Amino acid sequence: MNIKAFLAGLTLAIVGGLASMPAATADSIRVGVIEPLSGRVAAVGRDALNSFQFAAELVNSRGGVLGGKKIEVIGLDNAMKAEKTTEQLKKAVDMGLSYIIQGVGSNHALNIIKFVGKHNKRNPGKEILFLNHSAVTTAFTNELCSFWHFRFDANVDMKVAALVTQINRDPSIKKLYMLNQNYAYGKSFQAAARRLLAKRAPQVKVVGDELIVPFGKVQDFTPFIAKIKASGADTILTGNWGADMIRFVKGAVGSGLDAKFYTIYGGLTSSVGGYGTDGKKVNLKQVTEMHQNHPRLPKELVDYSAGYMAKYKDTFYADRQRWLILMLAAAIDKAGTADPIPVARALEGMSFPGPMGAVQMRASDHQMQMPLVVSTLTDKAPDPIFYKGKNFGVAFKTDGVAERKDTSLSTTCKMKRPN
Amino acid sequence: MAGLVRRHGMWVAAFAVMLVLPWIFQTGFAITMLNQIGVLIVFSLAYNMLLGQGGMLSFGHALYFGIAGYFTAHFLNGVGEDWLPYFPVTLLPIFGGLIGLFFGIGIGFVSTRRAGTVFAMISLGFAEMATALTLILVVFFNGEEGIQTDRMVGPEPLGITFGPDIHVYYLISFWCLVATAAMYVLTRTPFGRMSNAVRDNPERVEFVGYSTHRIRWLAFALSSFFAGLAGALHALNFEHVGFETIGLEQSGLALFMVWIGGARNFVGPILGAILITYLNSNLSDITDAWYLYLGILFMVIVMFTQGGLSGLVFMHEPIWKTDYRLFGRMMAPYALGIGSTIIAAIGVIGMFEMIYFLSTRVTEETIAVLYWMEVDAASALPWIACAAITAPGVAACRRTYPPMANSYNEAIAAVKGRMAP
Amino acid sequence: MEVLVFSIFNGLLYGMLLFMLASGLTLIFSLMGVLNFAHASFFMLGAYFAYQISGFIGFWPGLVFAPLIVGVIGAAVERYGLRPVHKFGHVAELLFTFGLAFVIEEVVQMIWGKVPVPYDIPETMNVAAFTWRGLDYSAYRLFMLGASVAIFLALFVFIAKTRTGLIIQAALTHPNIVSSLGHDVGKIFMWTFGFGCALAGVAGVIGGNVLGTEPSMAITLGPIVFVVIVIGGLGSLWGALIAALFIGIMDNLSISYDLSLYPVLALFGVEREVEGIMQDLVNLTTAGLAPVLPYLFLVLMLILRPRGLFGTRDV
Repeated sequence: MNIKAFLAGLTLAIVGGLASMPAATADSIRVGVIEPLSGRVAAVGRDALNSFQFAAELVNSRGGVLGGKKIEVIGLDNAMKAEKTTEQLKKAVDMGLSYIIQGVGSNHALNIIKFVGKHNKRNPGKEILFLNHSAVTTAFTNELCSFWHFRFDANVDMKVAALVTQINRDPSIKKLYMLNQNYAYGKSFQAAARRLLAKRAPQVKVVGDELIVPFGKVQDFTPFIAKIKASGADTILTGNWGADMIRFVKGAVGSGLDAKFYTIYGGLTSSVGGYGTDGKKVNLKQVTEMHQNHPRLPKELVDYSAGYMAKYKDTFYADRQRWLILMLAAAIDKAGTADPIPVARALEGMSFPGPMGAVQMRASDHQMQMPLVVSTLTDKAPDPIFYKGKNFGVAFKTDGVAERKDTSLSTTCKMKRPN
Repeated sequence: MAGLVRRHGMWVAAFAVMLVLPWIFQTGFAITMLNQIGVLIVFSLAYNMLLGQGGMLSFGHALYFGIAGYFTAHFLNGVGEDWLPYFPVTLLPIFGGLIGLFFGIGIGFVSTRRAGTVFAMISLGFAEMATALTLILVVFFNGEEGIQTDRMVGPEPLGITFGPDIHVYYLISFWCLVATAAMYVLTRTPFGRMSNAVRDNPERVEFVGYSTHRIRWLAFALSSFFAGLAGALHALNFEHVGFETIGLEQSGLALFMVWIGGARNFVGPILGAILITYLNSNLSDITDAWYLYLGILFMVIVMFTQGGLSGLVFMHEPIWKTDYRLFGRMMAPYALGIGSTIIAAIGVIGMFEMIYFLSTRVTEETIAVLYWMEVDAASALPWIACAAITAPGVAACRRTYPPMANSYNEAIAAVKGRMAP
Repeated sequence: MEVLVFSIFNGLLYGMLLFMLASGLTLIFSLMGVLNFAHASFFMLGAYFAYQISGFIGFWPGLVFAPLIVGVIGAAVERYGLRPVHKFGHVAELLFTFGLAFVIEEVVQMIWGKVPVPYDIPETMNVAAFTWRGLDYSAYRLFMLGASVAIFLALFVFIAKTRTGLIIQAALTHPNIVSSLGHDVGKIFMWTFGFGCALAGVAGVIGGNVLGTEPSMAITLGPIVFVVIVIGGLGSLWGALIAALFIGIMDNLSISYDLSLYPVLALFGVEREVEGIMQDLVNLTTAGLAPVLPYLFLVLMLILRPRGLFGTRDV
């Protein structure tokens, strides 16, 4: 009797296999975006998907690539789960996709790097390229570097280098406190900060260096803030993001801690929304490739941002997502084919006019080299941040730009290339 | 005797189906899904050894699943990097099972002295500790990135490299079948029966001279063994173990599978694992509200049945066995009841979908695709339409459920009548 | 010494917030025997309702109306959800509330989206009342402290001293006798559950703007609340208070006195820059372990003394 139900279940699975058979179209170049489109962090994934679709529309409106082929961006939901990322990769293989874009979550990016490496080795002629738009683990372009992986964002070390460069420019900074999340990303932030501070800003004294349990496990930041206050620090350098950043800022403002926050992810739209009115009181800095109040942004980018705003009612902030698609299109045109290996070779060394100056995909490790801008959250910026049509009343104002020579770091990558 | 033969026939049939399945579905996605179903069948059956058979509600059983996965991944890496002696990949699930058993014996000893709420809370405590430790003990767990591994190690007898997913499919199928059979046999042993007795009436078990603690402990340890086996299969399937495999969410997943499928009979968890993995893989691409529907389904089942979906099916077993013609008179009321449920669900789901669409949409666009139709979610019409479907649907449910229950009761009464001498 | 007093004071503030959250749960448990897994979800609902209401008519009306709405929802959940499940036993009840927590989180995401909402501390109270060791303590934090003390006193008096409280207590142990005396036990349970949820709602209104209001706040806070009531002893108001303060203070102390395992290991000749698995142990500090410690105590307590510090009966 029991097997009867079991067989019924297997029949169900059969239908499932059939239902997921994809249909292929020939006259477009399809790009899969594997991001969380459902679950708790879906907002981040959806924003990224919009951004890529908007950029693809621009390419297509200019006539597409290879004389008329369109770029089609397909969202694949991984629900921020490792298993679903693998599932969606298999689905992408079934669909015959040659290009995968991902960036939210370094763990998923690492999964994709490993998967693509194995897949390309086991299936020559059906290679897949992984275009990483936001996963920042430095190792991806150092010891884990791969010919099949291209990173269009700056890595943790580069972002820390930009922050340290800016810290060095501010003579009022004397004592600095580091607080980071105790996991792979937080530790690589900590290691890079220790190294670069000693080298580039030796006059700054590090009075605290602490790791916390990440992902919202710390409810009450008061004891940390008490320690920071007791240490006499005037500046905090932190890689925190999400709930760990929001609670940290709210706690600091609530306790009247008057220190500068140097952050990588303090300016994420979701975090700025979470600060509420405390966002106006905190002295918070972020490092990014652009922000909309920077003077002398290229005209093309300003128009693009305006179009993005008109369509999604969101402030455009991740320019790397725009240049990823535009550079992919340019590389396909340059290679004269959509086959991944020639396109990869065309991407190597390619330059693009970025918001702060030219950016370039370094051929030796596939790490984009770029200037970065450090900016402060303020309610006095001319153009406030909008998200889903809501005005946050605050925005970022430029402190200074770290040029490419400041953010460019050497690599340990020994890349194996296909023949 | 005939019954015994038939039962063995079922196992052979299951084996045959497993052999054939990948020839029918050859896409990588389908194979991955089948692999995952195999792993989760073992895990949910192991979970049900606690919940359904032993009466222990655990919020932390994924601990043994996940920890065995981590050990398996490290073991594989060790073999691959030659600091561990060669060990056949085919037998790794046993290694995972032993890891699960090891932790299950230790933690089981302290947590099974009582069942019920105390046990549930201890399991929650261990789950939270383990989740936090995955982030603190970085060398072993490697934080949120987890441990990557490569299952292609050692010699390749008969060309079995475990590179292609299909090789792993047969490995998982084999172990799934073996583990399922083993767990089934366990339910038939005196230990299995005592485990049920401890669930139903612990005082009486103590009274006849058994130690409830020991029986629970044994059940817990064995369950951890199979959870560990599943964890090792998981590690082989994905060649990656992440911190989410250890946490509350993974345990909750097993709980959902078991309870929705049905904790009170052996196939329930299998049914649940297949159904939920399938829906999770396919439905989440179609609707954002999938987790909401899953939660509602779970709550409805908790509220109205104790046996889950399989319980609803097996409720009709006596009727089927006595005289299938008794179903004749049940057809009409059942069709009406199920039909009105579907109508009500269509209306309710339509409204949920529109709310979700409006709250998660990214543009000013208000045209949603609902049931293959384009509707303007900002206008009143689709809402009225959905309400116009829901209201009569719910009203019909209220009218059609009693006759449905009546027809069932009558059929059961008829069955009893025939059994009476 | 001053650091000690200072840490204890900060722990007191945090602990009282935990107590406010746990008080409703311990009330429900002591009167109904139901361990409500969804309790933190009602806390979250309180925060979201308060955010919505304070956006229209201000914080104070929110403090009144949000808990009321949460309480009514809680009562409805008891009447139409929990009561039918009651006959299946405590495990089924726990399962029901587990599913409920899951559904509430999804519904919150459906209505308010997945990103945090800007629910702020009222501007009038966001001023420093006093400063100690360089840290400002806003009037709002004192208000939080006062509110939780008031809740404790009110609950204590309500349960132990009022007629209603006595009827409720009697209804738990002797439902048949109470109902034959003419009291509607079903109604008592319904409103008790609603009241407990409303208390969680109050905690949500008061704590949501300090901790941040987002869909995952329930799942991160929920287990901690269990720790409080289990350590304190299920059903004991005093126990919940002491356990909440204990956890709050311990959390602060373990961060302030950031002790490391390294000196102990050094006695065994372990190097600071050791490689491999020992590296994790060398790097262990009490500050890093602080979020784990409550669960360690939970497990130890349940193993050694399942009735908790002040419990009158087992969990």
